[in-house]
Amino acid sequence: MSAVPQTVAIESNPRRRSYAGGALAFARREFRDAMSSRWFLLYTMAFSALAVAVSFMSLSGAGSQGFAGFGRTTAGLLNLIMLIVPLMALIAGAGTIAGERERGTLLYLLAQPVSRTQVILGKYLGLALALVCSLCIGFGVSAGALAWRAGGVGLGSYATLVGMTCALALAMLAVGTLVSAMSRRTGVATGVALFVWLALVFLSDLGLMAGSILFKLRVQEVFGLGALNPLQAFKMSVIVSMNASLDVLGPAGVYASQAFGEGLPWLLGSVIGAWTIVPLAVAVGAFARRGSV
Amino acid sequence: MRAILAIVISGGLALVAGAAPRAVSELAALIDAAPAGTTVVVPPGEYHGRLRIDKPIVLDGEGRATIDGGGEGDVIEIACAGVTVRGLRIRGTGKDVSSEPAAIRALAGETTIEDNQIDDALFGVDLREAPNSVVRRNTIRGKDLEPGRRGDGVRLWWSHGCVVEDNRVDRTRDLVFWYSEDLTVARNHVTGSRYGLHFMYSHSTEIVGNELTGNSVGVYLMYSNRIRLTGNVMTNNRGASGYGIGLKDCDDITLEGNALLANRVGLYIDNSPSSVDSAGVIVRNLIAFNEIGFLATPNTHDNRISGNAFVENEEQAATNGRGDLARNTFSADGAGNFWSDYAGFDLDGDGRGDLAYEPRSLFSSLMATQPNLRLFVHSPAQQAVEFTARALPELRPSPMFTDPAPLARRPALDLPTGTSERSAWPMATLGAALVGGAAMVCLALTRDGRLHVGERRIA
Repeated sequence: MSAVPQTVAIESNPRRRSYAGGALAFARREFRDAMSSRWFLLYTMAFSALAVAVSFMSLSGAGSQGFAGFGRTTAGLLNLIMLIVPLMALIAGAGTIAGERERGTLLYLLAQPVSRTQVILGKYLGLALALVCSLCIGFGVSAGALAWRAGGVGLGSYATLVGMTCALALAMLAVGTLVSAMSRRTGVATGVALFVWLALVFLSDLGLMAGSILFKLRVQEVFGLGALNPLQAFKMSVIVSMNASLDVLGPAGVYASQAFGEGLPWLLGSVIGAWTIVPLAVAVGAFARRGSV
Repeated sequence: MRAILAIVISGGLALVAGAAPRAVSELAALIDAAPAGTTVVVPPGEYHGRLRIDKPIVLDGEGRATIDGGGEGDVIEIACAGVTVRGLRIRGTGKDVSSEPAAIRALAGETTIEDNQIDDALFGVDLREAPNSVVRRNTIRGKDLEPGRRGDGVRLWWSHGCVVEDNRVDRTRDLVFWYSEDLTVARNHVTGSRYGLHFMYSHSTEIVGNELTGNSVGVYLMYSNRIRLTGNVMTNNRGASGYGIGLKDCDDITLEGNALLANRVGLYIDNSPSSVDSAGVIVRNLIAFNEIGFLATPNTHDNRISGNAFVENEEQAATNGRGDLARNTFSADGAGNFWSDYAGFDLDGDGRGDLAYEPRSLFSSLMATQPNLRLFVHSPAQQAVEFTARALPELRPSPMFTDPAPLARRPALDLPTGTSERSAWPMATLGAALVGGAAMVCLALTRDGRLHVGERRIA
């Protein structure tokens, strides 16, 4: 697969290309590279298989009452998504700049008539598209399994779940890209990305749990600090879309529902949006400064 | 020719008369003229105003007459015993909660209220000291008000021996029963309300085959004793309280063959039974897909919980506060309950697990005393805490209760069917669209071999 002929096709008329067009060319290149790499295929297959398995397990025994526990399926999928998707996106992002720096190909890219911002944004866009495709395939297969076993229960919630998961992937990809833009070697970038993953998935929540007990934090503090974590914001927005309320998350959830009401999904969405835009902006700045070194 | 013209004109007049609203006083005159005990058929049409019935008659709209109260006070008031109101469309009560305006208010017993369609009503049917009455096959829909300002769909006040059955109620406050005994409450369907069925100090009642969906609480029994709940379905009751069934200070309750599905809490028990010599019986229910299957205050005791299926509740059983449920019995005659998360085995094949079911989740016990931690359910961090507790046994809490003989297989419960199945096609279409869309993007972006800038990599 990797033995593709290494064609060199220089742009015929570079001056004609618009700013966005230049970035899109890089996006397309990045997308094709992702498609032809094995890790991508592996992630897609693993995510699909796990999603289908979780759906089946969650639905086992649900059929006899003509009632399918979609909430339970979502709960199972939520855990899976919060583990796998950030890992996928962070690792994919971490490889994008640092890998080409290490191989020396970045010099060649920067010699093209495009700006550094175009290069990094294009790369981000291509990877983002590849990730979204990968997730959509996994969710699509899982939706097929759900339709087969459970009928059309919770269609709207499922669509929201897909959308929010893509948003989470984009945010984590932005963080991964930032790590990559600041690293010289892929190994370092991957290591840092893994640590970020560990911190977001486990350490911050466990720390906040301990802090909540030790310092007797009030509900608004627990909710505020918890919602800063993009993974928790993702989880809460999925639950809000399913239940129209966060009451299943106890006092902190009830507080959030009452304090923010209709604005809660927007608040949580903006947390995830901020986790996308801020790292990406910093990455663009860092890449513009460092370039190929 | 002239005869035909006359018929056409009179027919047209009749149509006009039928369409234009008439005054309720026309109806009152008909009732005045009718002898007691006879049936008054209401001529089809729409009547405006408020009606008071003080003679034992049958008032029958045959589904073609409407009475509109005009948004003031009660619409129909029944002031003597033995009245039947049937087949009317009734709408437009007042909306001031403090004066409790109702579509039909009965102030005397032996009243029958059936086959009416009630809309835009603060209170639907209000029986005040109206014993031995029947409320049957009515459709009741509340006003578009926030829950705190709504009235009750059906309210019984000091009305013993009544039957409330086959009503469909949407968007009201409660179907509430105050100080009323020996009732039959069957096959009602309540949606979008606060408490589906709400019992206050109302004893000795059968609650059978009701369907309570999307309310804040399905059935809430308070200070009410000797009640049997059988074959009811409670689905998706969430919100502020969010219980399928809630019991507060109730003695001698029997819950048998109910389905409690996808509520925030399936069964909530607050200090029931409360008397020393009484017991609660909770048998052969299906408690599934709730956030918490069975939640109880830590002082709860003397419930016999056996033959139930606890299936895939996020938390199967929990207490709200420090304490356990050990003073309840989780088996009868050597048979316990089915727990979908039971990790034991049944080597001797007698249908009972060989190890006791003893829930001892560290995260659950943490949440019981630190409710704020519930924010972290459904997340890998929660799994990490549970994993730690399994790896380090000294961290494991003592069991919340013991089911000595958990059922190895899910019992075949004779339960009513719940929510009807929906078509699988939209979900299948969504799946196909996701896969197809992704595949098309992949194809479109990788189809032609030309790269516009650069190359893949330098060899």
